[in-house]
Amino acid sequence: MEAAEKYDFSAVRWFSIAAVVYLVVGTLVGFYIAAELAWPVLNLDLPYTTFGRLRPLHTNAVIFAFGGSTLMATAFYSVQRTCGTRIWSPGMAWFTFWGWNLIIVSAVITLPLGITQGKEYAELEWPIDLAIAVVWLSFFINFVMTLVNKKTSHIYVSNWFFLGMLVMITYLHVVNSLAIPVSLFKSYSLFSGVQDAMIQWWWGHNAVGFYLTAGFLGIMYYFVPKQANRPVYSYRLSVIHFWALMFGYVWLGAHHLQYTALPDWTGSLGAAVSLAMIIPSWGGAVNGMMTLSGAWDKLRDDYILRFLIVSLAFYAMSTFEGPVMSVKTVNALSHYTDWTIGHVHSGALGWVAMVAAGALYHLVEKLWNTKMYSPALVNLHFWLATIGAVVYITAMWVSGIMQGLMWRDYDEYGTLSYTFAESVAAMMPYYKMRAIGGLIYWLGGVVMLYNVVVTVATAKDRQA
Amino acid sequence: MSTEKEMGYFYTDWASMTVNDWVGLIVTVTVALVLAVAYFLVFNPKNKEQLESQRYLVDGVEGEKFLAENSIHGENK
Ligand code: HEM
Ligand SMILES: [Fe+2]
Repeated sequence: MEAAEKYDFSAVRWFSIAAVVYLVVGTLVGFYIAAELAWPVLNLDLPYTTFGRLRPLHTNAVIFAFGGSTLMATAFYSVQRTCGTRIWSPGMAWFTFWGWNLIIVSAVITLPLGITQGKEYAELEWPIDLAIAVVWLSFFINFVMTLVNKKTSHIYVSNWFFLGMLVMITYLHVVNSLAIPVSLFKSYSLFSGVQDAMIQWWWGHNAVGFYLTAGFLGIMYYFVPKQANRPVYSYRLSVIHFWALMFGYVWLGAHHLQYTALPDWTGSLGAAVSLAMIIPSWGGAVNGMMTLSGAWDKLRDDYILRFLIVSLAFYAMSTFEGPVMSVKTVNALSHYTDWTIGHVHSGALGWVAMVAAGALYHLVEKLWNTKMYSPALVNLHFWLATIGAVVYITAMWVSGIMQGLMWRDYDEYGTLSYTFAESVAAMMPYYKMRAIGGLIYWLGGVVMLYNVVVTVATAKDRQA
Repeated sequence: MSTEKEMGYFYTDWASMTVNDWVGLIVTVTVALVLAVAYFLVFNPKNKEQLESQRYLVDGVEGEKFLAENSIHGENK
């Protein structure tokens, strides 16, 4: 119990539980909107429950509620452990916790009401944007000050990645959210036209690059070696992984805007740098997986480790697919189709949520000083998540490529072969399949929540 | 080999470069060079031992103690 005095994990505990709850809630909303596409009657003919309003609720719930709580739990935990010091301000960590949750509540209220800035992954209106900036800064400051107080002479790799995320997300969020308010719930972006598009995807891409990738790589670099009880495979790969991502990722945004009003060269640059990102990304994935080198048998009965390692396989897969999709000729087919959605979810379900689940299980065991109540249920969750993700991704690959091919197909007179409605009708079986994949994934989350709740509730009894 | 079309691809109207264009060009070229240097330094076998010894630091203070007490030089993997 020496650790208990040396560190302060009170807010970390709450963030961890919140993350698991938000995983279940966020993926439930995701399942519901997937079902709306498959069975449109579920839109209920109410504005609040239409796909258009619930989709941002889903993305905000999984990215900011689930992803954010996970990042805050893991960052506040691992920065203390790796620096051998207590968090700079436990009170401020609580401020971050309540502030972040208040923001989540306001998203849940405003998005279904249709209050939005209409910027993807940055829908929340200006007063909430201001709150995000303040709460995020409290996370940032507390993290940096804890680093400053470190008892070690080195700064461990995971902290570089968290720090990279904190710096870049602050910058990205502030610039992307610059707007002129006209009323309490309405504002207009400072940018317009092509600049607005560029700023939007500079943010959108880097929300993926720095929040969903760099941040979760911070998690990977701490939790994989800890769970495997071995040092990370290669420090040199970590160095390359880090610096190449930090300086490369920021240039990729234009790959979301191929064949639009952007100057052509920006798209080429975006594609070229995207391709260059395969090397560090795979270096990083190999670095994580090879940490098990010589101890692969651990995977047989350590289900938590399995989550962490399989997440890296998905990380490698989506960071190969992404660069390929950035290439203009491929993007001409994939853009606007479900292929993009398939790619997103191999990143989100396969990489982000799996590495998060592994880290959260590890955290629950450490924070409540016990073992998971049921390893069998961890295993069940692992299989539900893996199968759910694969079903989802496959459905979207098939439907996306089919969509792209149908849209571009024309006959000998140059007339399009299919109407848009025909392509929508052709999607229906795949939308159903995707909804089923999502349901399976969600069930995995429910199993996790149950297991975590029982573990925490019975931790004291089972320690004896 | 070099057709006019291919050459056209590399043609740049330098006179019409704006400040933004120059800033972008200089930053991207600099970043590319810096990354090349980083790759070189990191993968230079001479620096291997020194860099790889830092793998153990996931354990914070314990990791540093471990490093100080155990000579792990020469150990790799
Ligand atoms: C080197 C790595 C990656 C590259 C180069 C890349 C590239 C791309 C490309 C080209 C698109 C499609 C753009 C379009 O046609 O609209 C895309 C979409 C997307 N990617 Fe990636 N990707 C990478 C990794 C990831 C990872 C790891 C995730 C994790 C979640 C991810 C999440 C997303 C999301 C959310 C979108 C959808 C954006 C939208 O709403 O349109 N990507 N990515
Ligand atoms: Fe992107």
